[in-house]
Amino acid sequence: MKMLEIKNLHASIEGKEILRGINLTVNAGEVHAIMGPNGAGKSTLSNVLTGREGYEITQGEVIYKGQNLLELEPEERARRGVFLAFQYPVEIPGVSNIYLLKAALNAIRKHQGLEELDAIDFLTLVRSKMALVKMDEQFLHRSVNEGFSGGEKKRNEILQMALLEPQLAIMDETDSGLDIDALKTVSEGVNALRSPERSFVMITHYQRLLDYIVPDFVHVLSEGRIVKSGDKELAKELEKSGYSWVHDAPEPEGQPA
Amino acid sequence: MKVLTDIHTDFSAVANSRDIMVADNARWKTLREQAQHQFARMGLPGRKEEDWKYTSLWQFGQEQFVHQVSQPGYADIHELKLVEDAYRLVIVDGRVDLTASSIDRLPDGLTVTPLSQSIERASEFLNQQISMEKPGFNAMNTMLMNEGVFIEVTENTKIDKPIELIVVNSGHTQYYAMHLRHVIVLGKDSQATFIETYAGNDKANGLTDVVTEISLAENAELFHYKLQRESLGHYHVATMAASQATDSKWHNTNISLGAKLARNDVHSQLLGEQSHVTMNGLYLVTGEQHVDNHTRIDHSVPNTTSEEVYKGVLDEQSHAVFNGKVIVHKDAQKTDANQSNRNLLLSRGCEIDTKPEMEIYADDVKCGHGSAVGQINEDQLFFLRSRGLDEVSARSLLTFAFAVDVIERITNQELKQSITQVIEKRLPKGVVHE
Repeated sequence: MKMLEIKNLHASIEGKEILRGINLTVNAGEVHAIMGPNGAGKSTLSNVLTGREGYEITQGEVIYKGQNLLELEPEERARRGVFLAFQYPVEIPGVSNIYLLKAALNAIRKHQGLEELDAIDFLTLVRSKMALVKMDEQFLHRSVNEGFSGGEKKRNEILQMALLEPQLAIMDETDSGLDIDALKTVSEGVNALRSPERSFVMITHYQRLLDYIVPDFVHVLSEGRIVKSGDKELAKELEKSGYSWVHDAPEPEGQPA
Repeated sequence: MKVLTDIHTDFSAVANSRDIMVADNARWKTLREQAQHQFARMGLPGRKEEDWKYTSLWQFGQEQFVHQVSQPGYADIHELKLVEDAYRLVIVDGRVDLTASSIDRLPDGLTVTPLSQSIERASEFLNQQISMEKPGFNAMNTMLMNEGVFIEVTENTKIDKPIELIVVNSGHTQYYAMHLRHVIVLGKDSQATFIETYAGNDKANGLTDVVTEISLAENAELFHYKLQRESLGHYHVATMAASQATDSKWHNTNISLGAKLARNDVHSQLLGEQSHVTMNGLYLVTGEQHVDNHTRIDHSVPNTTSEEVYKGVLDEQSHAVFNGKVIVHKDAQKTDANQSNRNLLLSRGCEIDTKPEMEIYADDVKCGHGSAVGQINEDQLFFLRSRGLDEVSARSLLTFAFAVDVIERITNQELKQSITQVIEKRLPKGVVHE
């Protein structure tokens, strides 16, 4: 089953074209890594997919589970199962983690036509998910990400993902700012969520993350296009030779559907 | 102009007709005469008056306020109570409603009475904390006050329940003007919680003119909460002023949600060493509302502390003014004073004039102040939406998060919960109006 189809996607910010014809198909259960040097358009891609304002789509389309993703508001995407794990999770003083988790889960459950969870069921559920990412319960009662270390913020993202059980998770530079222990914990959390019904798009500059979360496909993004696709071996190649060669790569022949 | 010239209501004439209160009390009588004289001389302030620079009373001057009730008012206070169990005094349209009140069984050491029934004792404390020379409403209030609450706590007494005052403008008499004076006297080593709510039904346009005078003896501690949720056509002018002896503490929380025009003057005089004042403020305004908070803290002796946080949320065409003065007098070494005013603007049409001021005449002090004006953080908004919250809820949540630390400082849990509910209901939808 096709989870996500990106067809000839062009996107600009302030008149400057960043994405210049992206083609990508992600099937249910697959993990895709999108790698590329700085400025290749990685963050733009994740922002466009999750609906951040400020981008203009000039050509192409994105189909998510048979729907036109780009015409949905960010919250509608979330409620339909798209999740973005942020590169820089924002701090929200005054909003407790538990409030956020509950509001987010209930928004999604409501969309699915389910009842809100009562306090006890909710806590039981959250606790089980916290164990997955080795988070202490005190984090529930602190303001969202406020005063969290880099690793704690990323674990908090994975906690939200685990609770909301998305069908398509987009992970933006999840390994940035993580030491090796935190990277392991986060990766274990993600691996536990892998399933035949769930797809992942991991956007990353470094190969390191892919040692822990092994992708089915690796794509190289450069100057707004996917210039090379392969399996996990491609990532290792990149690690060895760096990104310098991608600029000399021929025009992409287009992603096979 | 320094003076407002065009005042349609003849307040002086009303003062002449209010004889009952002053009949038997020489001090009260003298005060009223002085007030009448002062009001005739100074009237109400115009925009040229520094403390009224951003708040125009022109519209106020145009109103024909009424001082006789046309029919007795009634108010259902069940929705207005902030705590269930309290020593409660209810004032409706300027008159004490004893059936709605519960002041008949007070513990030893506590007096809670209508001002009109404690003229002798209360008169000793009148106009001790305020000056009629100051441009504003003090003279008017002094010549027209005819009700209020008098609270006295004797030495070594800790009051077990909050004392709650509920003032309602029922709307039965349009443009009805209330002039209230509250007097709170806390003896040595005493402690009390005082909650005052000002409310009215949606169509109750009128005036609430109130002065609260507070005297805190050595080591007295007053937790003081004011919630103003009057109708959007109402005028509210208020002064809260306290003098504080050694080791005394005044924790003041001042929440403004209602009224077309609301002005609060909050003043603490720290007169004894180790005395402390907390000034917590929150204002939520929308539509054409105008709210003006003027605060002043006088650190007059060494080793006193103050902590002031005022926060505001402005939407639509509303206008807010904050002017906070902290004065550290010459001998007030080791003063520790902190003041901040932060504002969240939800629309392009609103306006905030903020002026934190510190005048420091001592050299060994720790003082900080600041003000900030900001908008909803777009990254936070996107984050919440990416987790499934719709835009309106996300904006409301961020607005509440901005205000929440003022509420967090409320120590009484029941009160905190009620105030949270009141504020949640009044959260602006927060959609940017362009």
